[in-house]
Amino acid sequence: MDAKLVEFSNLLRQNGLRVSLAESMDMLRALDVVGLPDRQTVRATLRATMVKRSVDLPTFETLFDLFFSGLADAIKELTAATASALEMSEEEFQRFLEELKKRLEEAGTELSPLARALLEADSGRLEKLLREAAEQAGLGDIQHGFQEGRFAHAVAQALGLSGLSMELARLKELLAGLSPADARRLEAYLDRRFQDLADMVKSLVRGELQRQDVTRGDQQRLQALAEKSFYYLSEEEIRRMQEAVTKLARRLRNVVSIRRKRARRGKFDSNDTLRKNLQYGGVPFRIVFDRKRKEKPQVMVLCDVSDSVRNVSRFMLQFVYSLQDLYSKVRSFIFVAEVGEITRLFQERDINAAIDAALHGEVINVYAHSDFGRAFKAFHRDFLPAVNKRTTVIILGDGRNNYNLPHDWVLKDVQQRAKQVIWLNPENKMTWGFGDSEMDRYAPYCTLVEECRNLNQLYHVIDRLVAV
Amino acid sequence: MFATIDDVIQRFAKLQYITGRTIATVVYLAAEMKKPILVEGPAGVGKTELAKVLAGALGQDLIRLQCYEGLDEAKALYEWEYAKQLLYTQILKDKISEVLGSARSLREAVDRIAHEDDVFFSDRFILPRPLLRAISAEKPCVLLIDEIDKSDTEFEAFLLEVLSDFQVSVPELGTIKARHVPLVVLTSNNAREMSDALKRRCLHLFIDFPDRAQELEIVRLKVPGVSERLAADVVSVVHRIRKLDLKKAPSISETLDWARALTLLNVKTLDEQLVSETLSTILKYEGDIRKAQQELKEYVELQRAKLKAPRAQSDKDVLH
Repeated sequence: MDAKLVEFSNLLRQNGLRVSLAESMDMLRALDVVGLPDRQTVRATLRATMVKRSVDLPTFETLFDLFFSGLADAIKELTAATASALEMSEEEFQRFLEELKKRLEEAGTELSPLARALLEADSGRLEKLLREAAEQAGLGDIQHGFQEGRFAHAVAQALGLSGLSMELARLKELLAGLSPADARRLEAYLDRRFQDLADMVKSLVRGELQRQDVTRGDQQRLQALAEKSFYYLSEEEIRRMQEAVTKLARRLRNVVSIRRKRARRGKFDSNDTLRKNLQYGGVPFRIVFDRKRKEKPQVMVLCDVSDSVRNVSRFMLQFVYSLQDLYSKVRSFIFVAEVGEITRLFQERDINAAIDAALHGEVINVYAHSDFGRAFKAFHRDFLPAVNKRTTVIILGDGRNNYNLPHDWVLKDVQQRAKQVIWLNPENKMTWGFGDSEMDRYAPYCTLVEECRNLNQLYHVIDRLVAV
Repeated sequence: MFATIDDVIQRFAKLQYITGRTIATVVYLAAEMKKPILVEGPAGVGKTELAKVLAGALGQDLIRLQCYEGLDEAKALYEWEYAKQLLYTQILKDKISEVLGSARSLREAVDRIAHEDDVFFSDRFILPRPLLRAISAEKPCVLLIDEIDKSDTEFEAFLLEVLSDFQVSVPELGTIKARHVPLVVLTSNNAREMSDALKRRCLHLFIDFPDRAQELEIVRLKVPGVSERLAADVVSVVHRIRKLDLKKAPSISETLDWARALTLLNVKTLDEQLVSETLSTILKYEGDIRKAQQELKEYVELQRAKLKAPRAQSDKDVLH
């Protein structure tokens, strides 16, 4: 059992759960304490000792089901199905089994362990025999769906299915001495059970295949994701990316809280302490620390949502949304040829609704051709007064201006007023400045220009952003 | 401690706390293995209550440490009672000058004071905060560290140290070791991810909203005098609302509040108007209330259709 449990914790690890050695040992200790009374208790025990993040719970549940029950449940189900096919209630079936056992003893037939387990519907022993056969047949090596048949055959061989069929045929000969009704029932039972065993083998093989699938696939997919560009993403991958961005925001929040605290603590203020304690005759009853003023970061984000960055803008907006969640003073804008503020929108709606609203033209016309120059000019006219020396301006866009006037002087003005200007460009650095890209004109007025197309690059940028 | 897992369920039930086997298993394990429990889950599912009931079931004292941003050792562990020390020196001025009176040099005076300084740094002037209280308690106790996610990462690291060996060193007094290892319950709303090191030391318990049957049982237990029909109605409406995409889903305590309010109003069954009038007891945001009202209109219509259906059937029977 211990080996199986260790294998299970390995499986969890392969699927992205962080199960440390200490936790595996805890799990074994905990199982010592509770024993193995029933499935639910074991499940709760494993969960409490090995799964420490609630996001991992669904993965754990799936894996637990795959790993622990499959076969035992399948065997029980098949037995029950046989009973109901023979039109017997549970009690009748039990009585029938006992009778069968007695009769076999009377006839003095020697049965193989497999036949005995099968006919007596002993699920525990059946499971054990099946697992042994699976090991013998090297079932762990199964890799593809098309190998199912081959491995099922190998397992059946190892199990001794052909010997069993002969055994059952011999048993049928014994039926001669029974009443017709009993004989028919017994014959039907023998046939069904033989079929059942074949089904059990099949479900054993399929279960193993699923397990192998889960083990191999997921890990590779996750790793590949971090390096992958935003441009090519399937639905499933988008969901994973969302999780990652949320995690990122959380990490950011941690860093910020430490910084704020350190800033707040302040030094001992001797002057103020003396002044304050004059009323106590100069005895320093109340100690005063000087409080540094908390500097809350102010951020203004301008996000390009034009057609050329369409696939990226969703993620950029997600980033903007997280940012707005994080800092209290964030104003967000989107632009194509005109500029629209989306701060309120993002505050009031949840993330997906807000992003959809922004991308489907509720705020500005998103089907126009992008014109950075015009958008910047509009920003200069309407929002420049809001930029002050504590403001960080983040621009997300590819700088492809459709050969319109770039109006880079706006950026210069903004830079002079703002604390810093950060430009994140989803395009490959090599292509900047070619064609209608105006990055070469805009870049000199930015404190930081970074290529940001995937999560790893975003991590990098965020680290720098907090450090500034 | 507890005899079996079922014993946990029963003793909790006596204190009007309904648990499933999952929660009971974790509690039993924590008590047996002397490991802290880290409880996570949405607000209002009874995380804090779990610790209180646990203390009640074991007949032990509950010591609670509420975390917040900026919580530090002085607030969590101990503090010297500075004002009291000062007050004593002021009052004892005469005595002190008596001690110092015969000193011939400044050095001798300082030496004498130094000789006496353990008077002022003794148990008398220490102000124990929850952690020190839990460690130095005479009897075994339950320590609840509430909303640990609100504290800073530094505090978490400090807590780690305390939780791993249950001893505290106070420079002036020496090391204080726990007489009984307290049973620790940490709760978190997941405002931030806790460090792996802390998680590794704890048993993890995720409490979600209870299923319908369980919540119904809770309502029946906690709201005496609620009619069977009303309880079922309330629970099924709340479960419907929780499926909506809300800013804050109604918690168990809010379900109970609502059931209580409706019982006070002497209501036997829910109707549309009543629901929209009292919805503010379970939902606390204007937008949420609007969403829920829309949803409930459909629900009430559905219920009505269900009620009417059998009658139509019987009408048909009459016609035939």
